[in-house]
Amino acid sequence: MTAEQKALYNRVYVWEFPVRLYHWLNGITVTLLIISGFLIGNPIRLFYANEAYQQYWFGTVRFIHFVSAYIFFFNFLVRIYWGFVGNTFARWSNFIPLKKKQWREIGQVLKVDILLADPSERMSVGHNSLAGFVYFLTFLAFAFQSLTGFALYSANSTSFFPRLFTWVIPLFGGDMAVRQWHHVFMWFFIVFIIIHLYLVFYHDYIEGRGTTSSMVGGWKFEKDEDLKNSND
Amino acid sequence: MATKRIVVDPITRIEGHLRVEAVVENGVITDAYSSGMMVRGLEIILRGRDPRDAWAFAQRACGVCTTIHALTSVRTVEDALGITVPKNAELIRNIMEAVLYVHDHVVHFYHLHALDWVDVVSALKADPGETSKIAQSISSWPKSSKGYFSDVRNRVQHFVDSGQLGIFANGYWGHKQMKLPPEVNLLAVAHYLEALEWQKEIVKVHAIFGGKNPHPNYLVGGMPCSINLNEVNAINNERLNFVGRLIKEANLFVNQVYIPDLIAIAGFYKDWGAIGGGLENYLSYGDFPTRGYNQPAAFKYPRGIVLDRNLNEVHEVDSSDPQQIREYIKHSWYNYSVGDDEALHPWRGETELNYTGPKPPFEHLDVTQKYSWIKTPRWRDKPMEVGPLSRMLVAYASGVPEVKSLVNDTLKRLNVPVGALFSTLGRTAARGLESILAAQWMQEFYDDLITNIKAGDTATFTRDKWEPSTWPESCQGVGMSEAPRGALAHFIRINDGAIENYQMVVPTTWNASPRDPAGRMSAFEASLIGTPVADIDQPLEIIRTIHSFDPCLACSVH
Amino acid sequence: MPEKMPTMREAIESKGYSRRDFLRYCSAAAAIVGLESLGIPKVVRAFETKPRPPVIWLHFQECTCCSESFIRSTHPIVADVIFDYLSLDYTETLMAPSGFQAEKSYKDTITKYAGQYILLIEGSVPAGNDGVYCMIGGRSAESILQEAAKDAAAVIAWGSCASNGCVQSAKPNPTNATPIHKLIDKPVVKVPGCPPIADVMTGVITHLLVFGSTPELDSQGRPKEFYSRRVHDTCYRRPYYDAGLFVESFDDENARKGYCLYKVGCRGPVTYNACAVTRWNGGVSYPIQSGHGCLGCSENGYWDNGPFYQHLASFPGFGVESTADTIGTTVGIGAAAGVTAHAVATNIRKRKLIQKLKSESAELKEDSNEGGNN
Ligand code: HEM
Ligand code: HEM
Ligand code: NFV
Ligand code: SF4
Ligand code: SF4
Ligand code: F3S
Ligand SMILES: [Mg+2]
Repeated sequence: MTAEQKALYNRVYVWEFPVRLYHWLNGITVTLLIISGFLIGNPIRLFYANEAYQQYWFGTVRFIHFVSAYIFFFNFLVRIYWGFVGNTFARWSNFIPLKKKQWREIGQVLKVDILLADPSERMSVGHNSLAGFVYFLTFLAFAFQSLTGFALYSANSTSFFPRLFTWVIPLFGGDMAVRQWHHVFMWFFIVFIIIHLYLVFYHDYIEGRGTTSSMVGGWKFEKDEDLKNSND
Repeated sequence: MATKRIVVDPITRIEGHLRVEAVVENGVITDAYSSGMMVRGLEIILRGRDPRDAWAFAQRACGVCTTIHALTSVRTVEDALGITVPKNAELIRNIMEAVLYVHDHVVHFYHLHALDWVDVVSALKADPGETSKIAQSISSWPKSSKGYFSDVRNRVQHFVDSGQLGIFANGYWGHKQMKLPPEVNLLAVAHYLEALEWQKEIVKVHAIFGGKNPHPNYLVGGMPCSINLNEVNAINNERLNFVGRLIKEANLFVNQVYIPDLIAIAGFYKDWGAIGGGLENYLSYGDFPTRGYNQPAAFKYPRGIVLDRNLNEVHEVDSSDPQQIREYIKHSWYNYSVGDDEALHPWRGETELNYTGPKPPFEHLDVTQKYSWIKTPRWRDKPMEVGPLSRMLVAYASGVPEVKSLVNDTLKRLNVPVGALFSTLGRTAARGLESILAAQWMQEFYDDLITNIKAGDTATFTRDKWEPSTWPESCQGVGMSEAPRGALAHFIRINDGAIENYQMVVPTTWNASPRDPAGRMSAFEASLIGTPVADIDQPLEIIRTIHSFDPCLACSVH
Repeated sequence: MPEKMPTMREAIESKGYSRRDFLRYCSAAAAIVGLESLGIPKVVRAFETKPRPPVIWLHFQECTCCSESFIRSTHPIVADVIFDYLSLDYTETLMAPSGFQAEKSYKDTITKYAGQYILLIEGSVPAGNDGVYCMIGGRSAESILQEAAKDAAAVIAWGSCASNGCVQSAKPNPTNATPIHKLIDKPVVKVPGCPPIADVMTGVITHLLVFGSTPELDSQGRPKEFYSRRVHDTCYRRPYYDAGLFVESFDDENARKGYCLYKVGCRGPVTYNACAVTRWNGGVSYPIQSGHGCLGCSENGYWDNGPFYQHLASFPGFGVESTADTIGTTVGIGAAAGVTAHAVATNIRKRKLIQKLKSESAELKEDSNEGGNN
C-alpha cells in the first residue's frame, strides 16, 4: 500500500431494495399477525356495556389479521422469487448450509454467540451461515403458517385463493388441529423475534460492521482485506 | 324332552350386544349365562382428562339412558370437589331426569317390550269397532274411534301385503304364548305408532335445557342454560311455557295411554306374575333430591336395600364404604393386579382388558371360565337386583305414601298378591307405575322452578370451584343416581387437576353380570331359572324376562 | 290410503315419468355405489318388484344414540320412514325377532337382495385382536361388516362412531376402534355427529330414495347438504362474536344475555354441522342456544381436543390445563431471560472487549503509519 491512507472499511451493498422492502413489510405484517392472532386466541374484555350493533372490534381484529396475512403471504412469495434472481447475498445458497465452509462458520458463530468467544475469523458479509440457516427455518415456518392460516381462512371464504388450501384440513385431522398448530407457531415467531433483534444488535456490537442499519440502507462495512478474500 | 343348551344372540330390542346361553331341561330353564359382548374401555379413556369434561365422555356410555351418566358424572365431580349446585340447577336436572324416565319407559314398553306380548299379525283380524269400545272403556284418550283403529288396521294390512315385513319379519307371531285377543293387539299396535310419534316430543325438554337430545349438555357446578326473563337469548318465559306444555302432555300420555294399555295387557298375562323373580335382594340409591344431593332423606325415592324380599326392613347403603360395593372379575374378561378372585371397591377399581374366551366365530362360550365383558358388582358380597322394581320395593318398604298407595291400588286392580311384584310382570308394571310418579314429579319440579324464579332466584351455576387452582391436590368422590334401569354410581379420584381413576358401576352391570367367584348368579341369570320354554326354537319366554329388565349393554360394560 | 302401495316404479310413473326416466333413476341409484356394471339390472328389478328398498342397520361399538336420534325425526316422522319409505329388515334395536330368527332376517336380505340393499352402520369396529371386543352371534363385528358390505348397494356410516371412531377411539383407544371407511373398500357416506341430527339422518336416506343418488359429498365423504358450513358460520350468536362480546364464565351477566360462547370453549368455529340451521328435536334448540358451547361432536378426534372449556386443546404431556400459550409464554420468557443474561454477560466483558478493540485499532493505526499492509 501506498503511504496515502486508504479507508480501512469499505461500504458493501448487501441488501438490495427488494430485500429491504421485503424485510420491513415482513417485520410489520408478522408483528401485526402476532398481535391480532394473539387477540383472536385470547380476546380481551372490552366494551361489555355496548350492544352488538355498536361495535365490531373482534371482527376488526380478525380483518387486520387477514389483510396482514395476504400482504405477508405475497411479500413472502416475492422474497422466494428474489432468492433466485437477487444478488449473491439474497440467494438461496446462503440459507441452506451445504458447504463445509458454511458448517465451519456455524461452529464459529455458535462460539461467538453462546460461548461469547471473540470472532477469530471474518464472518460472511451477508448472513452468517447460522443466521442464514435460521432464516431458512423461518421461511419454512412462514410456509407452514401460510398453509394453516389459509386453510383456516378457507372456511370463511368462497373466493378461489383460500379455497386452494382446503386440502390442508383433513391432512391435520380437522380445523381444531389446524388452529392448534397455527396458534403454536405464533410462539415460534415471538421467540424468533426476541432472539433475532437481540442478535442483530449484538453482532453489530461485536463485529462493528453496521449490521442494524444495513437493513435500512442496504450497506454493510467490510475490511478491505476481507473483501478481497471474500467469495460470498 | 332332553337337556338342551340354547343360545340367544343377538338379543334384540334392547340396547347393545347381549348373549344368553341357557340350559333347558324338560321345557324348563335350569341354568343360564348372560354375557356382555362389546367393550369400549371408557374407564381407561377417562384417565388423565379434565374432571369437568368427564360428563361428556361418561354420557356416551349410552344414548338410550342419555343424560343419566352425565348427571351422575357431574354429581361425582361435585362430590369430590365439594360443590353444591344452585336450587334451579337441581330442579332442572330433576325435570330432565324425570323426562328421561318417562321417555325411556314408554319407548321400552311399546317399542322394545311390547312385541313379546303383542301379536302384530293377529291385529289384522281385529274388529276395529270392538277395539274402539275397549279403548274407550279403559281410557278417555281422544284417538279411539272406530275409524281411527280401522285406518291403523288398514295400514298394517297394506304393510303386510307388501310382503316386506321389515322389523316385523321372523317375529314370534302365532306363538302359543301370545294371549291377547286381536282387538287388544290392534290397540297396542295403534299405540306403538302413537308412542313412536309422541316420544320425540317429550325429549324437547332436554333440547330446551340441554341443547339437544340424545346427549344434552350438563355442567359441573350447575346447568349451562342461564335463566333470564328479560332476554330472548336465555331460558325465558316462552321456553318455560314450552316445557310446561310438554310436561302436561307427558302426564296425559302416561295416564291415558301407557298405563291403561299396561293394565289391559297385564290382565292377560297374570301367570307372568309368578315367573322370572330371580334374586331376592333389591338395591336403590334413591334419587330426585329436593334439598340438595347431600340430603338423601329428602329424596323423592329413598335410598336403601331390601334383603330376602323382606318388605318390613330397609338396610342402609353407603357407596363410599370400601366393604359394601365391590366388583369381581372372576368371570369377566379383565385382569386385577390383586388376583382374579378378589373384589375391588371402585375407588381402587381397575380396568384392564384381558380376553380369554374362544376365538370367534364360536358356537358356545366356556362358561366355567371368564365369559363376559361385564364386571360383577356385589353389595357386601350379595347380588342385587336394581331397577324400577327395586325402587318401588325400597320406597314401599320405606313407607313412601305415594308409592304405597300406587302399588296397592295396582295390585288390587289386577287382583294379584304382593308376591306378584317379584316377577317378570312385576318389573314391567313397576316401570309403568314409576312413569306415573315421574310425570307427576316433573310437574312438581316445574312448579318449584317457576316459584323460585318468581322469588328472584335465577342462578343456575356456581363458579366457586370451577378453577382447578381452587381444588385440593387430590380428592375423591362418588355420584349416585337412579337411572331408568336402576342404581348407578360413578367413582372418581382426582389428582393434580386430572382424573386418576374413573369407575362406573351401572344398573345393567348389576343385573346382567356373570357369576361371582362363589358361583352366585346375578339378576338376569337367576331370573331365567325355572322359566318354562314352550318351543325351544322360539326363545320368546327368555326374551320376555330379559326384556323386563330393559337391558342396556353399552351401559353395563362401557 | 292407497289400495296397494305402489312400487318404486309405479310411484315414479304415476308422477308422469317414463320408463326411460325410471331406468335412468335406477342407474343413478346404482352409480351411487360404483356398481353400474353389475348393479343396474338388479336395481331395476328391485325397484320394479319391490316397493321399498331393503335396508340393513348394523350395530357395533356404539351407544345407540344414533338409533335414538333417528327415531326423533320430525320430517319425515320415523314411522313413515320405516313403514313407507324403506324396508328396515335388520336393526337390533327395533326388530321383533332375536337370536337365530334375527340372523335369518339378516341372511335373507343379504342373499335375496344382494347388490340392492342399503347398509347403514352405527358404531365403530374394533379392528384386529380377532375382533373380540365386539361379537354378535359368536362372530366378530369385523367379519359381519365385511360380509354385509360386500353386496351392499350403498353404505352409510351413522354418527361419529362409524365415521371417525368417536369416544371409544379417543386416546388410548383400548380396543382399536376403527371407523368404517378404513375397513371396507367401498365409498362410505359419512353422517358424523354424536349423534347426528335426526332430520339430517332421514334427510340423507330420503335423498337417496327420492333423488336416486347420494347427496353430493365433500372431500371427507360428508353430504355437503348438511356439512358444508361450520356451526359458527350459521350461529345466531355470531354478531356477538364479531362485536367481541363474550361469555366469560357460565351464568355470568354475559351468559344471561346470550353472548358468544367462544371464550368458554365453543368449538363452533372448527366444527362442520347443521346444528345452527336445522337445529335439534324438530328445531327446538341446539347446544349453543341452550348456553353450552359446541363440543365439536361431528369432527374427527374431537374427544382429544379437550379440555372442552378451553379455547385451545391441552398440550399432551404438560397437564390437562396447559395450552400452547402456557408453553409459549414459558419459552418466550425463557428466550427473553436468555437474551438478557447474554447481554449482561456481554457487558461484563465489555471493558475487556473495548480494551481489545482499542488496541486492535491502535495496532492498525501503527500498521498503516508504517505504511505496511499485505
Ligand atoms: C406469522 C404469521 C401468523 C401468525 C403468528 C398467526 C397467528 C395466529 C393466531 C395466534 C391465531 C389465533 C388462533 C386461535 O387460537 O384461534 C390465528 C388465527 C388465524 N389466522 Fe393466523 N397467523 C399468522 C399468519 C396467518 C396467515 C398467513 C393466515 C392466512 C390467511 C392466517 C389466518 C388465520 C385465520 C383464518 C385464523 C382464524 C381466525 C378465526 O378464528 O376466525 N394467519 N393466527
Ligand atoms: C427493529 C427490528 C429489526 C431489525 C433492526 C432487523 C434487522 C435485520 C437485519 C440486520 C437482518 C440481516 C441480518 C443478517 O443476516 O446479518 C435481518 C434479516 C432478517 N430479519 Fe430482521 N430485523 C428486525 C425485525 C424483524 C422482524 C420483526 C422479523 C419478522 C419475523 C424479521 C425477520 C427477518 C428475516 C426473515 C431476515 C432474513 C432476511 C432475508 O434474508 O430475506 N426481522 N433483520
Ligand atoms: N344400565 C343402564 Fe343405563 C340406564 N338406565 C345407565 O346408567 O341404559 Ni343405557
Ligand atoms: S356416534 Fe355418538 S351418538 Fe352415535 S352411537 Fe356413537 S357415541 Fe353414540
Ligand atoms: S357461540 Fe360458538 S359458534 Fe356461536 S358465534 Fe360464538 S364461537 Fe361461534
Ligand atoms: S357439539 Fe355437536 S350437536 Fe352440534 S353444536 Fe356442536 S356439532
Ligand atoms: Mg365399570
